[in-house]
Amino acid sequence: MFGSHAILVTVLAGAVAGGTSILFAALGEVISERAGVINVGTEGTMLVGCLAAFVTDVQTGNAWLGALAGIAAGAALAGVHAWMVVYRNASQLATGLAVMFLALGITSLYGAPYVSSNITGFVQVKVPLLGDIPVLGPMLFDHDALVYVSYGLVPATWWLLFRTRWGLLIRTAGERPEALRAYGVSPARVRTVAVVLGGGFAGLGGAQLSTALSLTWSESMTAGRGFIAVALVIFAAWNPIRALLGAWLFGAAITLGNVLQAHGYHVNQFVLDALPYVLTLAVLVLLLRRQRQFAPEALGQGV
Amino acid sequence: MSATTITELEEPGRRFRLRHVELSWARAGQLALRVGWWIALYGLALVIFGAFAASRHVDPIAMYRAMWEQTIVSPYGLGQVIDKMAPFALAALAVAVPARAGLVNIGGEGQIVLGAVGAGGVSLALGTHLTGGAAIVLMMVAGAGAGALWAGIAAALRLAGGVNEAISTLLLNYVGADVLAYLVYGSWKDASGNGQPASKPLPAADYLPVWGRLQAHIGFLIAIGAAIAIGIALRKTRWGFKLRAVGGNPEAARRAGLRVKVLLLSAMLVGGALAGLAGAVHYAGMEGQLRPGVAATFGYTGFLASWLARHQPAKVIAAAFLLASIAVAGNAIQLSSHLPGSAVNILMAVVLLAVLARRPKLVRA
Repeated sequence: MFGSHAILVTVLAGAVAGGTSILFAALGEVISERAGVINVGTEGTMLVGCLAAFVTDVQTGNAWLGALAGIAAGAALAGVHAWMVVYRNASQLATGLAVMFLALGITSLYGAPYVSSNITGFVQVKVPLLGDIPVLGPMLFDHDALVYVSYGLVPATWWLLFRTRWGLLIRTAGERPEALRAYGVSPARVRTVAVVLGGGFAGLGGAQLSTALSLTWSESMTAGRGFIAVALVIFAAWNPIRALLGAWLFGAAITLGNVLQAHGYHVNQFVLDALPYVLTLAVLVLLLRRQRQFAPEALGQGV
Repeated sequence: MSATTITELEEPGRRFRLRHVELSWARAGQLALRVGWWIALYGLALVIFGAFAASRHVDPIAMYRAMWEQTIVSPYGLGQVIDKMAPFALAALAVAVPARAGLVNIGGEGQIVLGAVGAGGVSLALGTHLTGGAAIVLMMVAGAGAGALWAGIAAALRLAGGVNEAISTLLLNYVGADVLAYLVYGSWKDASGNGQPASKPLPAADYLPVWGRLQAHIGFLIAIGAAIAIGIALRKTRWGFKLRAVGGNPEAARRAGLRVKVLLLSAMLVGGALAGLAGAVHYAGMEGQLRPGVAATFGYTGFLASWLARHQPAKVIAAAFLLASIAVAGNAIQLSSHLPGSAVNILMAVVLLAVLARRPKLVRA
């Protein structure tokens, strides 16, 4: 009964479900970095999103309100990062890590009473007809609602960045902030909006993690997903569509070990755990020469 | 601009003296202003964290009193702070050296873990064949070597593959944690232990010697020694000068005939060795056992300490002491206020954000 087909389906479905939180965060980071701001605090932004969504869900019983709270919390924390790096000209990397520590502290402080709380959260919804397609059905169309939201958000982010005036402003803020200034638009303001929006995305990713995937809250539960999202953006050449593939790849690597062991295969858990990171490094080496041209020109610089 | 450079330009005589005195007063005023700034800054951080605590129904005054009494004032607490300061300071130096060459090392976490693994490996291999001082020296060397190796991977990826070292060091942190987990769940697991994933405890003779009344291990002396050595190396040697040249303008440095790649590699390796030493010190001074999560967040804390000190080796010791006392104060609030210990990360972050926010705005042409 546990054939290779069943394993494949479980891994693919797990890749999508497990990769979605990373995907949201990576989409947010794409927007932020396209505007010229690296936010390694994404780890912390996701974490506050996790907690805000979980607590709201416990209090109201409404998972959607929780998701909104996650977005708001992520955006608020990213606002701190934006203010620091845009208006105070602080180092983006150092500020990002400081913001991560801030989030670790805040979430441990306010999360402590919720460690053993239970929620219903987002339930798995199977899409009629599409969900019955072999392999693709369980992989793509038998998930929680936020996974379906991510399907919409990927093309929406692409469209925002590459087909709207707003996207043009964001990309110019990341390439030639001085051109934006000459055009009469404040690059500082554009960057702030992009970072806060990106934080909202990461907060939503956190909400998916706590209220759809794990249905629990624990201290530091993001376990590096935010950092993965930051690395993923380079892997994805700052493109939302490719961020989707990368996030699912990570989801697959995270799921693979669990699934293989559950099916009685003897694999070394730690080799599998290290796999996504090693894979990303390998991809960075192989692709980067070609990739570097995609990096926003003023990434990491002040305005 | 200092007073002396001005006086050198002035004509000798009465006016010169007056100017000199005036300038000294101005400098004293500036200094007072700066000290005032720092006090206000830390005061603000304390007020903010106090407000957080108050929001969870904890009396901030009582909390701060407990933090103060159990860290700085009590000999036991101070000993703990000094024990933690050592790896923090070394981890911060591991950031400061590459920073001179314009490199960003966020890989302290992984390099520290590898340093602990290196030291632990040596201690397991030596067993009872060699103990005491010689074993300790070997552990330190192995730790530094393992840390340098781990940083060397990131350096090689940067120099040969063009991979940004900030990203690669960050990713290697997770791989390093997996290497440790692989070992302590596998072949290095203590068979005679209680089934926990941990290595065989270090023999008592192989711990770092403990110093004085505070019962602090001598790791802090290693850290201070390293800070002095790095300070001299960066300021007084040609290597330090060249590193700064590369960090300032790599293209100009290359045109001036400096071997930029070798310099970048050396900065990263020295950084990694310092972080590895931090791991070895923490292993041989405090833990005595390898276990998953050993020295967790030490690398990131070191990164923040280095930024707090603006990458100046002398200030690194002070910054590491400050962050170590905040970290140890976490235990105090857990016991006295029943707040989670990691809540003190808020205090650490606010102090750092306040310092980072003070960076003057760059003037753009």
